Amino acid sequence: MFRFTPYVIKSLWRRRARTLLTVSGAAVALLVFCFVGSVQEGLRRLTEDEHAQRTLIVFQENRFCPTSSRLPHDYADRIRTVPGVADVVPVLVWTNNCRAILDAIVFNGLPVGKLRSARDLQLTSGDWTEFAGRHDAALVGRTVARRHNLAMGEQFSIGEISVRVAGVFESAVPAEENLIYTDLPFLQYTPGMNAAGLVTQHEVHLTDDAEPEAVARAIDQALKAGPVATTTRRKGAFQASVLSDLVDLIGFAHWLGYACVALVLSLVATTTVMSVQDRIREHAVLQTLGLRPARIFRLVIAESLLMCVFGGVLGTIAALALIASGGMAIGAEGVTIAFRPSWQLGAMGIAVSLAVGVLAAIVPAFQAARTQIVSALRNA
Amino acid sequence: MALVEIRNLTKCFRKGDETITPLDNVDLDIESGQFVALMGASGTGKSTLLNLLAGIDRADQGSINVAGTEITRLSRSRLADWRAANLGYIFQTQNLIPVLTAYENVELPLLLLPLSGAERRKRVEVALEAVGLTDRVDHYPRQLSGGQEQRVGIARAIVAHPAIIVADEPTGSLDATTSEQIQVLLGRLNRELGMTMLMVTHDQQVASIGTRCLRLDRGRIIEATPKRHGRQEQPHAMAR
Repeated sequence: MFRFTPYVIKSLWRRRARTLLTVSGAAVALLVFCFVGSVQEGLRRLTEDEHAQRTLIVFQENRFCPTSSRLPHDYADRIRTVPGVADVVPVLVWTNNCRAILDAIVFNGLPVGKLRSARDLQLTSGDWTEFAGRHDAALVGRTVARRHNLAMGEQFSIGEISVRVAGVFESAVPAEENLIYTDLPFLQYTPGMNAAGLVTQHEVHLTDDAEPEAVARAIDQALKAGPVATTTRRKGAFQASVLSDLVDLIGFAHWLGYACVALVLSLVATTTVMSVQDRIREHAVLQTLGLRPARIFRLVIAESLLMCVFGGVLGTIAALALIASGGMAIGAEGVTIAFRPSWQLGAMGIAVSLAVGVLAAIVPAFQAARTQIVSALRNA
Repeated sequence: MALVEIRNLTKCFRKGDETITPLDNVDLDIESGQFVALMGASGTGKSTLLNLLAGIDRADQGSINVAGTEITRLSRSRLADWRAANLGYIFQTQNLIPVLTAYENVELPLLLLPLSGAERRKRVEVALEAVGLTDRVDHYPRQLSGGQEQRVGIARAIVAHPAIIVADEPTGSLDATTSEQIQVLLGRLNRELGMTMLMVTHDQQVASIGTRCLRLDRGRIIEATPKRHGRQEQPHAMAR
């Protein structure tokens, strides 16, 4: 089966400038494809995972930016009485920018005890005692810490908020690693916040048998008579709504991903067609020696596949490395989408390369296999 | 029974409204071990006959039986398998695969046969030795002279021990000295290895290395073996 491998590799190497250009084109296209894919994956995780589906966010009605949503802290007690609610976590959110930005700094103030129970955080440095013991202590997400070079014990200020790093954490939820957590009262009483007794949102955890939409309606109904009207949605829907501009942009970007695939397809197909046209006589000689048309077909497919997969693997690895090392995230309105490398993304990149490699070569391979030996030997 | 039996072979080409019939009900027998030189003016159908016998072109009518296989009835894929196992083809121009070394070019037909690596290596070495090119195994076609390239082409044609070797003007693109060396080589391969060959040539001198000489004229085969072989310019018993 692999007896002709040296021939395939040498044929590609013989036209190395053309081959390398095609491989690099495929690599760049797959890099962009995987990058776009990682943004989509990040958005999907944020809006569709189980946590996003089984958690509700109570937000001020008709408000979108965390700086404009102001709910009474004590709404938590009323929400807790609604059937189907297992726990309520009041959260005060502060962000340095409500617009779409690649370097959003987002503070979330939560009661310390709630933070430990409501979030799955593993400290990579620092400890919970230090966090609980200091009024201005902050737990910094690994990605933020890396991006801003923050380490345990450092004091830093953003706007009116000045905190000391009590620990750096990692989380199973990638978007969490773009947040900075403080104790809720600290953030409420930070000068300039004017948030004493107020929170941005209440995060509602449901009992196992609760139906999220029914509980959301019940919460809004229960708070209807309160001083501030609310809108309660699943966390996934809330985040998708908050990020709606970005969601549209990401929706457009996914076409960019498909465009990259089409680009590779066209690039590899052009190279393969040129290669086949250059070697009409060579393929006729191979058939004269006894190669079946089907084998000629497979040889052409193999050449295309090798170029595409080699370029695709390079591009995919480069994209995953870039995403892993860059710690990139895009955020708006205090919600961030984390770009994370994943096995699924890598597998998708390689699968796309394989499919494109085969598709691009089908027509030229068929032409090569159908070569009329005598006329090819005479005319080529 | 002859190794090759050609009966009622007809091949036509259409050129505009005109129909050209280079082969018209041709009959021919080639015995095992014969070295047949096929001569004739340009356009008389020499190469057409050779290509039909090689199974790389299709006849309009008639049959070609080689070592018991009726090749005109084989599908394209089966014909390819038959060529791999039974045919050696020596081209006029060298037609080596440029990305492969001399060794790899010679080994190419063996990759299609169920042979071990050791067996392939042995056969390639023997074939390259037979054409006197053991010192050029790692050279690429561009690093070989025209004569050396043709020798590699001959080694590639004989390496699979085919039932028949066909050669389409094998000296046509070579200078006189190299041509003579190739003629000697072909004659020796026929005599010493007993290989059956059909060679198309324009050149009377090249044809003289054959054990039998045929001439194609207006679609018919005429026996043209020199007198030393007993007959000259007489219709062959199997030729019409």
